Amino acid sequence: MRSPVGVAYTRTAIVLHWLSGLLILCGFALGLWMVREPIAPATLRAYGYHKWIGITVFLVAVLRLAWRWRHPAPQAVAMPEWQQRAAALTHAVLYGLMLAIPLSGWLYSSATGIQVVYLGLVPLPDLVAKDKALAAALKAVHLTLNFSMLAVVFIHAGAALKHHFADRDGVLLRMLPRLARRSGESRP
Amino acid sequence: MKTFRSFIPPLAAMLMAASGGIAAQNVLIDKSEIRFVSKQMGVNVEGRFRKWKANMDFRPKELAKSKAEFEIELASIDLASEDSESEVRRTLWFDTAKYPVAKFASTGMKDLGGDRYEIAGTLTIKGTSKGIVVPVALGKDAAGNSVAEGQFTVKRLDFRIGEGLWADTDTVANEVQVRVRMVLPAVK
Repeated sequence: MRSPVGVAYTRTAIVLHWLSGLLILCGFALGLWMVREPIAPATLRAYGYHKWIGITVFLVAVLRLAWRWRHPAPQAVAMPEWQQRAAALTHAVLYGLMLAIPLSGWLYSSATGIQVVYLGLVPLPDLVAKDKALAAALKAVHLTLNFSMLAVVFIHAGAALKHHFADRDGVLLRMLPRLARRSGESRP
Repeated sequence: MKTFRSFIPPLAAMLMAASGGIAAQNVLIDKSEIRFVSKQMGVNVEGRFRKWKANMDFRPKELAKSKAEFEIELASIDLASEDSESEVRRTLWFDTAKYPVAKFASTGMKDLGGDRYEIAGTLTIKGTSKGIVVPVALGKDAAGNSVAEGQFTVKRLDFRIGEGLWADTDTVANEVQVRVRMVLPAVK
């Protein structure tokens, strides 16, 4: 069930892409919610889930990079060169953030003296010792990286929508082959 | 000798020493500690109490005359964040406004051999008293002081620590490991 080479991403790449998107959205929303809530069991649970989601985002990003190394992205759709470059840069930044944000959260948790136990089962090592000043700095780093991610995701999704609705060039359909099949655009 | 040594004015202590009474040993507060580990979302979270008083008169050869008494200022709790520190001072947890102090008073000691002892006593927290038995190992530090280390488990719900919405033990486990390390001038 592979899509023709050069037209769409592989099914694995597509599944992992949308999984990343979903996890990032949930992790981000949960993070925004939990830091505003007073401490309660639901908040503590949210912190736990938020960390598990973040570690999963990291693992999925590593998996995606490994997959992409063996299965290059499909041929670029015709577009101005500056757009090609901007797209490549945006993707590189997104990958960087998918790795850096979970790491900064893990570091922040370590600095507050709370170990991260993935899914409540796998204890991850503390990356730094408990340190209040460091924790405050890492919190700022974690927040800044997250709002950068928000901005880059807007660019990423905005560009995809622009290609789909304004340019009608099939860029978005490379990540949505089912939609392409239904409309018959990418099939010969 | 029912009162704590630290509460006795120096003159009274001198009088007692002069009259043949044996003054309690001075616990070396800076080297001693009362720590605990609670489990939140499967994560061991460590804490300690910054302020406490001890009255120890530990004589391995005269266990019947020995005693160990503690008073812990619950509001002096040291946790991962100030938010959680102020939360556990509230009514649902320690209710430190109403019950500022937790107490332990030994009722009997047993020699288990090989520098191991068992101290039975009454633990009072938040208006509830329960009998507990603490296994204690006696050793020495590099400076030649005696070091008594004991560990026991408190079921927080026995003392109504974390009531109402916090009574759910899936988020914060019922069992809390308490670790006491007392350093005293060498005991005989």
